[in-house]
Amino acid sequence: MQLNQESAKDRLAALGMDDMPVMEYRPQRCTVDKDWFKKYAIARRDFLASLTDSYEEIAFMNLTQEEVMNLIMGKSIPENTSIRLKIPLIWGGDLSVDNMFMCSTFPHSNNLDRFIFEQSDASIIFLPNPSKKIYVTTHLAGGGAGGNAASDRLTAAAMNYVSSRGNE
Amino acid sequence: MTTSEFISSMKSRGAKIIPAVSGNHTIIANTNLQKMRAAMLPAFLSDLYEHCGGITLGSAYIFGPKEIERGIKYPIPAIDKINQDVAGNKNLFGKTVFGRNDLFWFATDALGNCFMLDNLTLSVLRKYDNPYNAMTDCLIVGKI
Repeated sequence: MQLNQESAKDRLAALGMDDMPVMEYRPQRCTVDKDWFKKYAIARRDFLASLTDSYEEIAFMNLTQEEVMNLIMGKSIPENTSIRLKIPLIWGGDLSVDNMFMCSTFPHSNNLDRFIFEQSDASIIFLPNPSKKIYVTTHLAGGGAGGNAASDRLTAAAMNYVSSRGNE
Repeated sequence: MTTSEFISSMKSRGAKIIPAVSGNHTIIANTNLQKMRAAMLPAFLSDLYEHCGGITLGSAYIFGPKEIERGIKYPIPAIDKINQDVAGNKNLFGKTVFGRNDLFWFATDALGNCFMLDNLTLSVLRKYDNPYNAMTDCLIVGKI
């Protein structure tokens, strides 16, 4: 199915990601190095180590202290978290930090896979292209009308975090 | 390799084994899969579901017959829901997706032949005669 900028945005909105930017890309099959998997593993570790500048997004991921430490030390990624390539390897993408982003596996990474499958017969593909290293949908932080006195999302998330641990 | 040996091997690598659910869920999932032209559950998956309700290892998953609840976090969908979402893809006719990781999806046909699929077009990258090798390859990528 060939999408255009608008229909791609609409489809992503239907998949619950109306704030996900897209980029237009003409896929070209590329040969992949034989040692791609080794390079991929190294690139993932480099990506995790680079996340120290993404503390605001990490705060929104609702992780335990141990998960945060393991994440930024590159030991392991939290449950239900995926690292994706913006431009896939076989379409000419690099195995580099700049070509990676992190998001939740369910629903986001799974739905992004569906978004790409649906365009598999198109000549121009719209690929998800989040501006930050971690994609956290804005819908996660929505407070209900009334009752939440926080003035911004980060404060609201921090208050939820504190209250869930009984540290108010 | 038997199912018990496979589960034990995955456990030793740090996989989380979801407790088995009632056989009724497997029957319902199988019926739903037939309705959407996917493959009926082959013997190895039916056997696996008698032992567990799904397996996760990092970002890799073997889907279970019932949605896996995770408190306030988004649940892991059941196998029939995953297949419903991708039903109609011509590369999947006669196949049922049973697992995924960050790089590949994994499917099986009714005879138990397994396939590694790319996560861009769902085309077959590799065929497995041994389903335990396919499930191992699926899960092990979750632990990079």
